[in-house]
Amino acid sequence: MSDFTPVATGTGVRARVQRGGAFLAGMIMPNLGAFIAWGLVTALFIPDGWVNRIARATGAIGAKDSTSFATEASAIVGPIIVFLIPILIGYTGGRTVHGQRGAVVGAVATVGVIMTPFALHLGSAKVPAPEHWESLGPQFLGALIIGPVAALVMKYVDRLFESRVKGGFEMLVDNFSAGIVGGVMALVGLFGLGPVVYWLTTVLGAFVDSLVNARLLPLASIIIEPAKILFLNNAIGNGVLVPLGAAQAKVTGKSILFMLESNPGPGLGILTAMMLFGPLAIRATVPAAIVVQFLGGIHEIYFPYVLMKPILVIAAIAGGASGVLMFSIFNDGLVSAASPGSIIAYIFVASPGDLPTILLGIIVSAGVSFIIGAILLGFGHGKQSGLDLEAAREQSARNKNKPATAPAA
Amino acid sequence: MATIDGSSIKKLIVACDAGMGSSVMLASSLKKQLAKNGVTVEHSAVAQIPSDADLVFTQAGLADRARHTVPDVPVVPFQLFLGDPAVAKIVKAIQNGDSFEV
Repeated sequence: MSDFTPVATGTGVRARVQRGGAFLAGMIMPNLGAFIAWGLVTALFIPDGWVNRIARATGAIGAKDSTSFATEASAIVGPIIVFLIPILIGYTGGRTVHGQRGAVVGAVATVGVIMTPFALHLGSAKVPAPEHWESLGPQFLGALIIGPVAALVMKYVDRLFESRVKGGFEMLVDNFSAGIVGGVMALVGLFGLGPVVYWLTTVLGAFVDSLVNARLLPLASIIIEPAKILFLNNAIGNGVLVPLGAAQAKVTGKSILFMLESNPGPGLGILTAMMLFGPLAIRATVPAAIVVQFLGGIHEIYFPYVLMKPILVIAAIAGGASGVLMFSIFNDGLVSAASPGSIIAYIFVASPGDLPTILLGIIVSAGVSFIIGAILLGFGHGKQSGLDLEAAREQSARNKNKPATAPAA
Repeated sequence: MATIDGSSIKKLIVACDAGMGSSVMLASSLKKQLAKNGVTVEHSAVAQIPSDADLVFTQAGLADRARHTVPDVPVVPFQLFLGDPAVAKIVKAIQNGDSFEV
């Protein structure tokens, strides 16, 4: 049976990084609906949200007032980001490691890391200690760690008791072992992990802020765009940038970090260049790919086109960086994750008032990617294309085989 | 390399990194194409491919991880999510009940 496939070779560096990233992203991605719900209620109901903006514009309330409806409805915002989402992450992380029992202890343990700054009045690192639970930061990093760890502990404890429990006592042992592990891990989270990740999150946040302020953020595209092409898009976007962005958005109401990986502009530019100047044999497949990428937000669809002609990664980097530059010049941000990275998602989660400049940034990044992509493709007149369909087909077949024959490193 | 009888394929898995985006898209189009042949087409993350699958489609960049997850199931790597010849060839073979090589 195993002669169907070559020996399993899932040990390459790329596969390992992908797998590590997939583990992180696997805790975030099933819960993206909660992020989006949070983003939508935030964009609608916060003091500067759509409801108040529209009410002010129509003269229903004063320029600095809020409608009582928006004020009441905004009560949902805090609990979702402070409690629900970290607990969902810890729950999902626990479930990945040890099923439903792992999920439960992961969720309980997460409450510990969430409450650390509140319970211990951590106010060092130049951050004022929270006076009310609503001023707690979203403890994603802590949840990403403690959820799977608590589940791992549960798994070992279960293994310890396995087949040593007298008949009839299984339920008693199961429930109380989970309860005790959950409670102990919540304390470990509160006193042990919590202070560490609180400090880490503060340092990381300050680092990101200084990158933003120094306008150095476009440099991130040098790493992000090539990594995306290697299918690390979920690892980076959902595994790293969404948690960081949500932490920032909790404080400032929006974050540019949500846009670093999810900007659909560079992909659109590259696909358009491919459609007009790419190998003739594949041009016909591109228009459908553009719809899936730009409107559907499934970026994976353009990665193979770049892998066919790896030099195109330069077009992706340039487009990504110019988009980030535009966003940072105009101080743009999204209120929550644009996931999937579709233009439609962008319209929904753009920070109220930022939409025009965000769209401009997307257009610029698409334009830059397109122009550089077109140059790199020789405007369709390069030696590999031209009007000889047969040669083009051969070339594209050869290109196509390249990544397949060279095993993923 | 092995020859597989197209009519023996009953459960086809399309796998991607998260099992939420590109794999869902390709799976839904294959589902329509193979509905008449009694083939169940499902999507999954590469780390969670069910071991009772008969055949796995995945992007070439993820093929190593797919093989790692299910060493005993033939994995067909493809390049393009839309209109890839490797996928089209096997879909045709399954529809006609022909055998194909992986």
